[in-house]
Amino acid sequence: MRRAAPLILVLAILLAWEAVARSGHWNPLLFPSLSRIVHELIAFFGRPESLMEAWVSLQRAFAGFALAAIAGVTIGMLMGRSKWFAALLDPLFSGTYAVPKLALFPIFIFVFGIGSLSKVALVFLECLYPIVIVTSQGARGVSRVLLWSARNMGASGAATLRRVVIPAAAPFIFAGLRIALPIALIVVIITEMVSSADGLGYLVIYSLASLKTDRMLAVVVVIAALGWALDRALVMLRDRLVYWEKLETYYV
Amino acid sequence: MRLLSFLLILFSVTAAAQTPPTIRFGRGFAAEENVWLMSVRKDLTPNQGKAYNLNQILFQANPERFQAFLAGELDGGTAPGLAVIFARAQGVDMKIVASICLEASGPGIFTTQYMVKDDGPIKSVKDLKGGTIAVVGIKTATDLWARAGLINAGLVPDKDTKVVPMGFPVIGDAVRTGKVSAGTFVEPFYSAEKAKGGLRTLFTAVDAVGYEHELLDIFFGEKFLKSNPAAVRAFLSDYVAVTKYYLANTAQAKADLHKAGFVRTPLEAYQKNADWKREPSGRLNVESLKKLATFMHDKLQWLEKPVDVDGMVDQSYLPR
Repeated sequence: MRRAAPLILVLAILLAWEAVARSGHWNPLLFPSLSRIVHELIAFFGRPESLMEAWVSLQRAFAGFALAAIAGVTIGMLMGRSKWFAALLDPLFSGTYAVPKLALFPIFIFVFGIGSLSKVALVFLECLYPIVIVTSQGARGVSRVLLWSARNMGASGAATLRRVVIPAAAPFIFAGLRIALPIALIVVIITEMVSSADGLGYLVIYSLASLKTDRMLAVVVVIAALGWALDRALVMLRDRLVYWEKLETYYV
Repeated sequence: MRLLSFLLILFSVTAAAQTPPTIRFGRGFAAEENVWLMSVRKDLTPNQGKAYNLNQILFQANPERFQAFLAGELDGGTAPGLAVIFARAQGVDMKIVASICLEASGPGIFTTQYMVKDDGPIKSVKDLKGGTIAVVGIKTATDLWARAGLINAGLVPDKDTKVVPMGFPVIGDAVRTGKVSAGTFVEPFYSAEKAKGGLRTLFTAVDAVGYEHELLDIFFGEKFLKSNPAAVRAFLSDYVAVTKYYLANTAQAKADLHKAGFVRTPLEAYQKNADWKREPSGRLNVESLKKLATFMHDKLQWLEKPVDVDGMVDQSYLPR
């Protein structure tokens, strides 16, 4: 029953949607039925060019996310383990975290061009913040007992980092990556909606401009499915690499 | 007591009967001066407040305006002819009732320009092969003209030349810095960028499609037209009167619109800008809409099936 509950919830939402769509209160062009959306979804997978658009968006999202992961984990570890780096970078990251980086997109277009690079750069910037902040928290919170023990046993600085700090911070690193991954997808779609001739965001805006809400919602379903699949893949990777700490919650 | 209640009900019914219907009207932010003036200079609209009330609501883009219309939040509004063609193709019950302005060429008339770097390598549209052309939105009129221009030059849009959406304010710098090969320019951006120098016109909207055609029109929902014919007639009678006033007193009308905050361009520049062609009678160039619909269907594959343009136009509400 506990496993079936989420499915029942999704089913209830879908049934509610269908009931509202069939009620006649809203124009079907604005609120299409599930059958229309499913029809467009099937058509989406039947068109090779649609799959190519999805691939373009995924490439952009992955590129920005991967760069942010490399830079973010490095910066986060430095900030977590070095007082000097923390003093230097903490004000910068905490002071600009709330800035909607999307507002910088026109500038990014001028610097990096209208193609993929400007979108990848914005994904990188948006993803960098959660990864840096959560990783630095993890690196900063490594138990002193573990660090002292490692040093007492003669571990060098590099060995302490490799054998103690990184494993201890790994759950935090993955938490940062898990926050950043959907951000990557969201930013790519939005930038493609603003200025692009390809990608899933372009398909969304193209469908909207044609008043094809059913087609637009089919693309939204594809984006949601991609987001879910990427998150599951990341959780699986985390469970495999950080096997000593399971993602478990106890409810009282 | 009963007599009092009866009188109260009678009074309410009489008052309701005397209140003219309010037209919830979705407007845009460019080239609609003769429509905006109806709200700024109510003294030019003798029927307003008597046969109808007008509530103009600003929308940034056509899809949002049509979504509001579909949601029952608008009775009518302004829209490019091609946007109404899209809507009719999807079965939306709306009709074009009057023309606002046209893309036309001639002395003192503005038509949308596609410009490139003055000292750049692009000398003809054919040179756009492998390049990028900036339009203001996908499946907008600016997109249609760009594609028409490319097709005329034997290029395949999206394959030979990318068509990308970009905001009007940044297109000038994007062309100058080579981020895009060509861009779309309308007033007031055209005059501002022309004054800066370094850009030249490659083709115009009229060059692209080859004929003068409807740019912006007034539409109403069919249900509203049927239930409020007198209000629509009165509205269009005032609209035609305001259009004639605007054409005869453009400088004063522009000053009034600027003062009312409908236009943010500095007044001096706004007064100098050339204007789109406007038909004083508000009558439509239906043939141009038919040609556009055919082009959208046959050449661009933007429509799944042909649209009956005669069925989406109703000029019977305009003054004779």
